[in-house]
Order: sequence, then C-alpha cells, then structure tokens
Amino acid sequence: MTFVGLGVTFLGFIIAFISLGVSQSTAIRMVMVFAGIAVSLFGIMGVITPAYQKTWIWKK
Amino acid sequence: MTKKLVLALAVVACLTGVRTVRAQAPAADSPPPATSAVAATQDGTPITEADLKAAVKPTDRANGDPDGALTGTVNDIAISDSATGLTLSDVLNQIGANRIGVNFAWTLLCGFLIMFMQAGFAVVEAGLCRAKNANHTMMMNFMVYGVGMLAYSLIGFSLQMVGAGAVANLGGTPVLNSEFTINLFGKDLGLFGNTGYLLMHHGTYDVAVMVIFLFQMVFMDTTTTIVTGTCCERWKYSAFMVSTMFLGAFTYPIFANWAWGGGWLAMLGANFGLGHGYADFAGSGVVHSVGGITALACALILGPRIGKYTRDGKANAIPGHDIMWVLCGCFILAFGWFGFNPGSTLAMSGNGGLRAASVAVNTMLAGMTGSFGGILYMWIRYGKPDASMTGNAFLAGLVAITAPSGFVNPVASAIIGLVAGVLVCLSCEFIERVLKVDDPVGAISVHGTNGLWGVIAVGLFSDGKSNYGGSWNGVAGNVTGLFYGDAGQFVAQLMGVATLVGFVFVMSFVVNLFVDWFVGHRVSAQSELEGLDLPEMGAVAYPDFVLRAEAAMVD
Repeated sequence: MTFVGLGVTFLGFIIAFISLGVSQSTAIRMVMVFAGIAVSLFGIMGVITPAYQKTWIWKK
Repeated sequence: MTKKLVLALAVVACLTGVRTVRAQAPAADSPPPATSAVAATQDGTPITEADLKAAVKPTDRANGDPDGALTGTVNDIAISDSATGLTLSDVLNQIGANRIGVNFAWTLLCGFLIMFMQAGFAVVEAGLCRAKNANHTMMMNFMVYGVGMLAYSLIGFSLQMVGAGAVANLGGTPVLNSEFTINLFGKDLGLFGNTGYLLMHHGTYDVAVMVIFLFQMVFMDTTTTIVTGTCCERWKYSAFMVSTMFLGAFTYPIFANWAWGGGWLAMLGANFGLGHGYADFAGSGVVHSVGGITALACALILGPRIGKYTRDGKANAIPGHDIMWVLCGCFILAFGWFGFNPGSTLAMSGNGGLRAASVAVNTMLAGMTGSFGGILYMWIRYGKPDASMTGNAFLAGLVAITAPSGFVNPVASAIIGLVAGVLVCLSCEFIERVLKVDDPVGAISVHGTNGLWGVIAVGLFSDGKSNYGGSWNGVAGNVTGLFYGDAGQFVAQLMGVATLVGFVFVMSFVVNLFVDWFVGHRVSAQSELEGLDLPEMGAVAYPDFVLRAEAAMVD
C-alpha cells in the first residue's frame, strides 16, 4: 500500500501540473490545483500513513 | 537617445555627489596629492583643480577627526592610473563599487546571522528531547552543518542556482546561465542547473557567485536541521548522515531551483500568465516546507518512539529535559531570522533594497502575533500557557511570514503570524492524535504546515506595494495577491503547494526508503530505551547526573 500511496500522492501533483496545459482560465486552473492538493493529501494521510501504522511498534 | 539621457543624468549626479562631499570638508589650499592639476575624463569632461581644491589633506587630520567630517572624502576614491589622476570614470566606478560593496556586505552579514540559527535549532531540539539523547541530538545538529554543506557545495548549488540568471544587486552574475529545460505546453520549463560544479567550473569562481553560494548554503542547512528535530531520539546516526546528504544534494536544490533558480515554478507568470509566478521571498516553501515535509516522510518511515503511544493508540506526553534551552533557542532563531528575511533583498542599495526595513518589521510582528496566538490557544484549551508550544508558535509566526515578508504590509503580517500561532497548535494535535506521527519537537507543524500557510499567504495578502526593480520573476509590476485583485498569483502559490505535497514528499519518501533499505533508519529498541548517547555516540551529555529509568514512562 505504501507504493499505491506514493502513486496517489504523485498523481495529485500531476493533476495540478497539467492544469497549466488544459486551460487558460484561472478559475479552472484553481479548481484543478485544489483537486491536486486534495488528492496528494489523501495519498499521504489516507493511504501511506495507515499503511505504515501497521508496522509501528505500539501496534505490535 | 535614452542611453545618452541616462549617461548625462549619471554624470550630473556624479558631479553633484563630488561637490556634496567637498562641501562637508573644510577649505584647503592645495589639491589632494593623488590628483594631477587637471584630470581629464575619458569622455572629455574634466575634473578641474577648482573642483578638488576643497579636498581634505592628510595633514588636516593630524589632530584626529572626532566628528567624522574629515574622513571619507575625494581622497578615498580609488584611482585607476596614478599618472592620469582622478577621472570621472574613477568616480563612476567608485559609485558602482560602493553600491555593490554595500550589497555584498549586507548579504554576507545576513548569511552569517543565518548560520548562527544552527545554534538555535541545536538547543531547541536538544532541550525538547530527553537528557539521555542530548548528545546524540546535539551532534546531529552539529554535523548537519558540515554534511549538508559538503553535499551542497559538490552538487546542490549547481543544480539550484547555475540557471538562475543575472543577480543585478550583486553586480550581475552572467555565469549563472545554464539551466536544463524541457518543452511542455509550448513553453521551456526549467528543471535544474547543469554545470558549475565545485564552485570552479563554468566561471563560478566569481566573487558574486561566492556571495550567493554562502547565502544559499545557510538556507539549505536550515532545511536539513528541521528533519533532525522530528527524527530525534530514534534515528541511527549513520542513516541521518546519508539522508542529510541526499537532502542537501538533490531534494532541496531541485525545488529551490524551481522556485528561485529560474525553474518552471518561478516562470509560471512569464510562461502561463499566473501573476508573477511562484513567489517565495525568503523560503516558507523552499526552506521550511521542504524541511517539514521531508521530516514527515522520515517520521513515517521511522515510526514513533517507544512509549509515545499506548497499545490502544493513546498518545503519551514525553516532555523535553530543558525548557530554558528551548526558549533561549527560540530567541536565537528569531535573531537569525533577521538575516533570513531582510537579507533576502540581497541589497541595501538599489532595486528595493531599502524595503529590508519593512521586511524586518513584518518579521518581528509575525513572530509576536504568532506567540500570542499560541499562548492564547493553549491557555484557553488547557488552562495553562504552555511554554514549549508558545515557543513553537513564535517560530511558526516567523516561518509563515518568511515567504510573504517582502510583499505584505504590517497589518497583514500580524494576521499571518496570528493564524500561524493557532495553526501550529491545531496541527500538532492533528499530527499526534489523528495521524499518530511522533514529532518530538513539532517541526512538521512549525515548518511544514506553516511553511505551506506562508506560501498561500503570499497569494492572499501581497499588496502590490513592494518594488524590487520594477519586476519579479521576469513579470513587470509588483506581486499582488488575491485580496488585492490578482487571482493568478494565488493559483501560482497553490501550484507551489501542490508541488511541495505531491512531488517533494514523494521524492523525500523514496530517497529515505532507499536509506532505510541500505542503511536502516532506526536504532535498536535496546539502544532507544538506554538512550542514544552511549550506543550511538559513545558518551553521554551529562555524565555527572543520574538519569531517571525509562521503564517508568512506558505504558
């Protein structure tokens, strides 16, 4: 799951980045960048962190 | 025509300047010894004996110069050819040298101040860890300076700055002209500098480049020392050194290039019409967020300290061993921050250098309101004004104002700091209780969370009044945020945030996964319980004291 989480996190960056080429509209770019940030945060907090918590010492 | 007009104005200004100096000096009977009777300039404008007759003679200062009126006169202008004497070219060159000299001195001194922040970080982090790990934590903070500098001087600086272009405030740096780019969306997007290694190659053996290197190097070292705080009390020393090497050589320089070195984030305005591109005056994103986000990646891989969480996931408080060092360290850091933010003008003379005064005041105000935000939050929520969180809130205010300090007004600075002071408390609680990530010093919240807040604050509060030479990142005009009418700038800042959480985090995580596989990040449980001073460093920090048994703290 760690690598899935890394993929999701990086996907958020890609969504934000491609907004530069998708539209000239500031509003559309803003929405896409916000979406990208949300996806990245989900990757970190919703996927990678739970995956790593399973290995932590107080869970054993 | 314009060039001629500028030249004429320069000559008039120059001569006016000479006369001003002369007017401050007492009358003298003869011209200064270093000048000929009539000195001719290259463009035919003579400096006559009459012009120089009021100059001070060395004998005039035989009885000293208590009020300074006789020191610093036309006699002190450097002459290129003693046979010709003083020429207008000498005067003009002296004016240019003075301006660049002032800017060199300012930037170097600010760099020295920032270097002293290493001491602040060291005592804050050591104070917030337990006594049994104090030597280990101090040694991480000590060697992070050398390890980071080694990596940065070998590789990092070239990746970051060799494509940055000319820095006018430091005399121009024409050798910083080699950026690797790719063409996407019809634009050339800069990714990293690709030459100038070891400060020798590609003409980087240059005084202006040296100033930039020193200033940027201490910024990078600040980033690396953020990670040691989050990972203290369980980080294997060898893994720390390897991880820091990667951070100084690659992770930090790559993002710093994109933001400050002429990379694609900086050019979002010029290439895609997003305000003035990603604007980060002194590094809330480049320095603090990169450090905080890397710290989060390392903390996830390392896991929490033994005893931090009970088996049902409840967090235990593990207090530091010396709150006095913590708060003293906060003051040292605040002092160093006057190098960090005002120094980022890279000038005191020309191109908005005097704006450093405004930057300094903004920095003070945000630190103050940050500490107020933190102390009030803790007092209301827990009934006591917690010392360590107040210190962290103070730092959070400083972190948050680092990016906007050059673009906002004092009221906005106070608001940014106040929000940061509350935000750091909320973030610490969230990271500890929800994410269950163990951060002994709160560095992820102070630097990561509030670094991101600072980046966003640029896009909100920049008032369009700052003027650093008429443009920023190659876009004419001044940086203006959403509240003052430029939504594009806000999007550019959000793009920086997306890059930090989406790219920098992944890069840091992958690098540290490799370190974990090949070196191993975490010490043994036995070493951790014993304290890292003896197993890792071979000596304890406080040999004359008997330390409390660890078992009493473990659930």
